[in-house]
Amino acid sequence: MSASGRTSSAAVPLARRRFLAGVAAGAAVLTAGGCARGASTSAQPGTTSISNDNATWDDGYRSAGRELKKITGYELRPLSNPSVTSYQQVVQMTLQTSKSTDLVKWASGYQLKRLARAGGLTDLTRVFKGYAAKGWVRGSSWDAVSYRDKAYGIPLYESYYVLFYSKPVFRRLGLSVPDSWDALLHCAEVLKRNGITPFLASQVGGWPAIEWFQELVSKSDPGFYQRLVDGEASYTDAPARRAMDIWHDFMRKGWMTSPDFDQARGPGALKEGTVGMFLHGTWQASGMSAAGMKPGTDYGAFILPTVRPATAKSVIAESGVFVVPGRASSHEAAMANVGAWLDPSVQRVWSDFLEDSSANPKVQAGNPVVAGLQRDVARNRRQALVRYWEASPPSLVQGNSNDLGGFMAGQTSPAATLKRMQERAQDEWAAWKRDEA
Amino acid sequence: MSTSTTDRRPPTAAGGPAGPRRPAPRLPLGHAWQTTRERLAAGGFMAPAVLLVTLFLLAPFVWTVYRSFFSDTRTAPFSWFDNYALFASDPALARSIQNTLMWVVGTVALPFVLGLAIAVMTNAGRLSRLARLCVVLPYALSGSAVAVVWNFMLTTDGAVNQVLTTVGLDSVAQGWLLTWPGNTVVMILANAWQATGVAVILFLVGLQSIPPETLEAGSLDGANGWQQFRHIVLPQLRPVSIIVIGMSLVNGLKSFDLIWVLTQGGPGRATETLAVSMYNETFLELRPGAGAAIAVVLTVIVLAASWVYLRRQLDVKGG
Repeated sequence: MSASGRTSSAAVPLARRRFLAGVAAGAAVLTAGGCARGASTSAQPGTTSISNDNATWDDGYRSAGRELKKITGYELRPLSNPSVTSYQQVVQMTLQTSKSTDLVKWASGYQLKRLARAGGLTDLTRVFKGYAAKGWVRGSSWDAVSYRDKAYGIPLYESYYVLFYSKPVFRRLGLSVPDSWDALLHCAEVLKRNGITPFLASQVGGWPAIEWFQELVSKSDPGFYQRLVDGEASYTDAPARRAMDIWHDFMRKGWMTSPDFDQARGPGALKEGTVGMFLHGTWQASGMSAAGMKPGTDYGAFILPTVRPATAKSVIAESGVFVVPGRASSHEAAMANVGAWLDPSVQRVWSDFLEDSSANPKVQAGNPVVAGLQRDVARNRRQALVRYWEASPPSLVQGNSNDLGGFMAGQTSPAATLKRMQERAQDEWAAWKRDEA
Repeated sequence: MSTSTTDRRPPTAAGGPAGPRRPAPRLPLGHAWQTTRERLAAGGFMAPAVLLVTLFLLAPFVWTVYRSFFSDTRTAPFSWFDNYALFASDPALARSIQNTLMWVVGTVALPFVLGLAIAVMTNAGRLSRLARLCVVLPYALSGSAVAVVWNFMLTTDGAVNQVLTTVGLDSVAQGWLLTWPGNTVVMILANAWQATGVAVILFLVGLQSIPPETLEAGSLDGANGWQQFRHIVLPQLRPVSIIVIGMSLVNGLKSFDLIWVLTQGGPGRATETLAVSMYNETFLELRPGAGAAIAVVLTVIVLAASWVYLRRQLDVKGG
């Protein structure tokens, strides 16, 4: 709105210069911001950042961090990415940069071996051996945290795969905790007759498809399960076929939820009494509490009975680990915190938060249901078997999980599913061994 | 680059008689310097855009093509076309191609037909604005949000099955996202629900630019409603139709977000499209070479389909 054309034309170059200057300044600020280390992963005095794929654990890390600070002077600062898929990508990519967090939560077993193989992790052998000398870590954990005779992870927690059940529902229907396979089948029949889906089974999110597979195979023949995940047995062998037939039979009888049932709804379904038993890790205990269920009163848990009475007793164990990136922003602080993580005072707080068993065998779980399971594992000398997700090379497990998901959706028969899994196992084990060589 | 652009003859010169062209005057030295300066300035202004496109589009693409020729083992040796051979040997990728074709057909046909029908029906009338708003609104939602809503509806114990059970149609209730090809079909329908909005907007713009005289003339000549639509309206909507179909074609080929949130390509990789397979192979199966090969094939298909379609349509229009 200049009064004359002259004024207007004179104003244009000035406005353009200002505009260009503004754009240049903006670009400079953006560039500077882009080059700077992200505020979230930068070193912050008195803290160590931790990458985490479960945002509901953030408060637990903070509580444990306060205990850690009393020992090391450093708290924990959780940075969560709740999508497991994107979490894995982000961690693997940031490990190659100078922007990685100080501590990273990761899976143990082959997942850790693959990460360690790519380089960029700190050797934690001395820390692990220090814990072992104090009896603060199970010696059997070594295989799950090591690669080529060096430890790269410190156990973060230890969970068992169990069947949670609703105590009020079982009481109402006159059911008791099944101590044999026949008793389990009886429970399922009664629940089904009363309009309750006996078992929760899901493939939402991909990995849950392994849960029933690992349970049924290990409870059919734990030795076979171990050989299978080690690549020494075939997926088409009799024990695997038997396990898949049982699973197929359960599905045909309508004993399992639809495969698109989201496990996040498991505690709610148990509370409502629409689902009878929920197969999951004991870390789900905190989810039960979040749904307003009291351990021992509203819910209990038991380990799936073996298919035959004579079969050796076992339990599927899942152990997450902490790893320390070699290029962590506060490497010294991170090493101090992994060095004190399994201290009983820290683990007391952490285990109480998770309501799960600690990786330190000297710390008893505060949750009475989990403490009961710990006693069961010790009393029956159950063989702890590594969860399927961590027990074989990641590409093999990922592909086989997809196949099991397809089986759950009725796309393939048990035999066809196992055949595909075996074909993949041959290829992926050959690839893993070739890479190792 | 700037030289070739400025030297190129304008398109009108090829089709019609060229106007009188003034011979280029011989420029004195000062003018030559000024021309060079102008070219340099133009280059300077173009440089950031060229640099960004090169850095973020062309360079990654070249690297992706390069990576696709290497195997996915740890040492990643050169493996010629092994990654491309997966299309013949991996049943999941064969299914992925099938699904991609279904998506292309679905995302082209449904938004086109529905968009045109809704635009024609709501072009006039008092309640048309409200109806139009209802159709266009989903387009404003993000793909992921739409997928979350549809997930709530399509799971086995979701809203759709609950409604069916309530009205006594238990036999129709099923796991909509579990069995192929039904799961792909319902996702295409969910996508159409969202994508139709933009087609409606474009067709409405097209309809409003049709001169009313042409319809009046048709009416005076005794053409009925259908004849007017078929022979007067539809031919004049051709430019808009080209855009709608072109956009839908590309959207169909690169469909990802809805599938990822609803099924993650499962169960058993049954609902993957090429875009989802590319992601799955690269980041979940940890085979970047195979993922790169899928990315290259997908890019070639998108470019070829767009080029063939647009070239044909624009040629026809031009002719």
